[in-house]
Amino acid sequence: MRASTRSIAIATIVVAALGGTATASATNQGDRDDRDSGRAKNVIYLLGDGMGRTHVTAARERFYGPAGKLVMERMPVVGQVSTYAVQPRSGQPGTPDFAPNFVTDSASAATAWASGVKTYNAALGVDAKGKVVPTVMELAKRAGYRTGNVSTAEITDATPAGQMSHALARGCQGPSYSASSCQDTEVTGTELPTTDIRVTPIADQIARNGTADVIFGGGLSRFDAADEKALRNQGYQVLGSPATQTVATRRDLNSAYGPKVFGLFNQGNLTVEKFKIANPSAPQAKEPTLSEMTRKAIGLLDGGKAGRSDGKGFYLQIEGALIDKRSHANDAAQTLQEMKAFDEAVRVAMDFAKRDGNTLVIVTADHECAGFNIIEKGTFTNAEAATPPGNVDSGNTANNSTPSRPGRNQLDPTRSTGIINGAGAGDPRNFGPATFRTPRDPASVKDGSPEASLWLSYLSGNHTGADVPLFAYGPSSERLARSLDNTDLFDVVGQALRVTR
Amino acid sequence: MKRTTILVLAAAAAAFGLALAVSLLVTRSDTAPPLADAARTVLPGLSAATGEPVLPALATLRPAAGSVVQAPGPFDGRFVLDNLTFDGRRVAATVRITSDVSGLLELEALAGFYDAKGTLLGTGRYVRPDPARQGHAEPTAPAPGGAGAGEAHRVTIDVPAALRGRAVSAAIGVPVLVNE
Repeated sequence: MRASTRSIAIATIVVAALGGTATASATNQGDRDDRDSGRAKNVIYLLGDGMGRTHVTAARERFYGPAGKLVMERMPVVGQVSTYAVQPRSGQPGTPDFAPNFVTDSASAATAWASGVKTYNAALGVDAKGKVVPTVMELAKRAGYRTGNVSTAEITDATPAGQMSHALARGCQGPSYSASSCQDTEVTGTELPTTDIRVTPIADQIARNGTADVIFGGGLSRFDAADEKALRNQGYQVLGSPATQTVATRRDLNSAYGPKVFGLFNQGNLTVEKFKIANPSAPQAKEPTLSEMTRKAIGLLDGGKAGRSDGKGFYLQIEGALIDKRSHANDAAQTLQEMKAFDEAVRVAMDFAKRDGNTLVIVTADHECAGFNIIEKGTFTNAEAATPPGNVDSGNTANNSTPSRPGRNQLDPTRSTGIINGAGAGDPRNFGPATFRTPRDPASVKDGSPEASLWLSYLSGNHTGADVPLFAYGPSSERLARSLDNTDLFDVVGQALRVTR
Repeated sequence: MKRTTILVLAAAAAAFGLALAVSLLVTRSDTAPPLADAARTVLPGLSAATGEPVLPALATLRPAAGSVVQAPGPFDGRFVLDNLTFDGRRVAATVRITSDVSGLLELEALAGFYDAKGTLLGTGRYVRPDPARQGHAEPTAPAPGGAGAGEAHRVTIDVPAALRGRAVSAAIGVPVLVNE
């Protein structure tokens, strides 16, 4: 080959190679551009445990009246979420061994949105066959995001634990391992060695895995001196002390600083807001509210004056846990106050998101609790009835299918002895409704009176299979304006943060 | 077309393809490590459990002959221990849970048995059968032999056969409690 020809050939090859690189680069840039449309710098995921659609409506009517709106109801995107779980050893939907369970618990639901898989009730961070699955908080942490987990429950409880632990059984909370609470041979066949993460107490995992940079909640009695040492060795500022079982206080929270903070404000679940409002000088009133913990967590994770953000962004989960726990107890007064407290945390998140401009805020629930409902003032429920509504006109094709019951829909005075938070409060067998005044009621109308306009009743003391509401704001929120399954939330959040494929 | 020209074009095409493949491969491997690798399954410095949970206080108590006392544990603020009895063959108590009584997930009690000098001879354990775990559902049924789930539960622990006749007092406490 002559010199000139060689030069042309070499130049051609170099140009081709550069072209290939440039093409690949352009392709990748195109991918990035596609991926970056809708990318959120931050995601704040707020979870009202047990919060069904009626919880939202009842809280709105109680605190703002029928024409008012909760903060969450002012968010622009609305969806609804199915929540069913599966049986132990079930396959995922669409597989031959798929075995659904129509009513979820908080653990299965948490695993669904945190890891994108259906699992059995009581499972955390494992699928229904016991396989460990990563959580979106773990993925976010690995990708360089800052992470936070806040709850009014014990921080080892199902919802917060679903993001930062892997356990066969939600009862394996610590401080100690026990075979009864940690093993599940129905899933694993034989007991796992105690070195296996899936039978390691959740408190031990949280104290050592560094999944969340900021941890606020209750449950101090799950942690011990060894956990405190492990936390400090990772650089956490520990508020209060697990070693001495000294709970943290609002003052500790306000003075917290640094990139990693661990603060538990009660040995068990945090105290219900209604008690703290009624007893402002009680020790429990020193516990921060959910909105105060939310504000502090955002401040620490976003950088601000105290934290040290590297600019990547953050993923923060906030749980209003006591909505569920007080719904289990059919305590409508406390349930409503916990709804208000949760909505105030939503307000804090939304205020930040609007200022920031690149934060996805999602507000939803894990399941409905207790079949909470609003009945018309002066009416009664089937639970109070001597005979439920009849359906016995065999001559009318419109009302003669099963069930067929004689008689009429009548109140049974032995099953309903008055308003449960009023005249009927002393009767342990009373199925009467609870009543509450609303802003439009005259000032003389009291809670628990027949004159109060909001009449509330519960179907049961346990979870139901109803779909739950979802509200959203910010980048990628348009993907949530539909009927979703709870596993879809893993995909939406993961893709908004670009931590899943 | 000359042979050299064909060779040059072939080499150029190969270089283009190779550069494209390498660039894409590098980019992909930089941005997409396996998702499963993100799960935190190793906890440096944690010693694995070697047995069932204990109550350290059992070793320091010295209950008087014929008596039964409560052994301190991590959850004493969440329950009251009532109706403690010890008849030489078994210790019994009622665990009345006073916080978050909507559901009881786990309950274990541990008893220590002592000789006349107050020396700890051995222990016995009670593990509450959990209907929720058995059915993998939230608790729904009343606790056996008592009030509603999470409110009160009668606990009975037999003196181990090897200690019968020697155990003259007892202590009992709760090392495992998960209620909500």
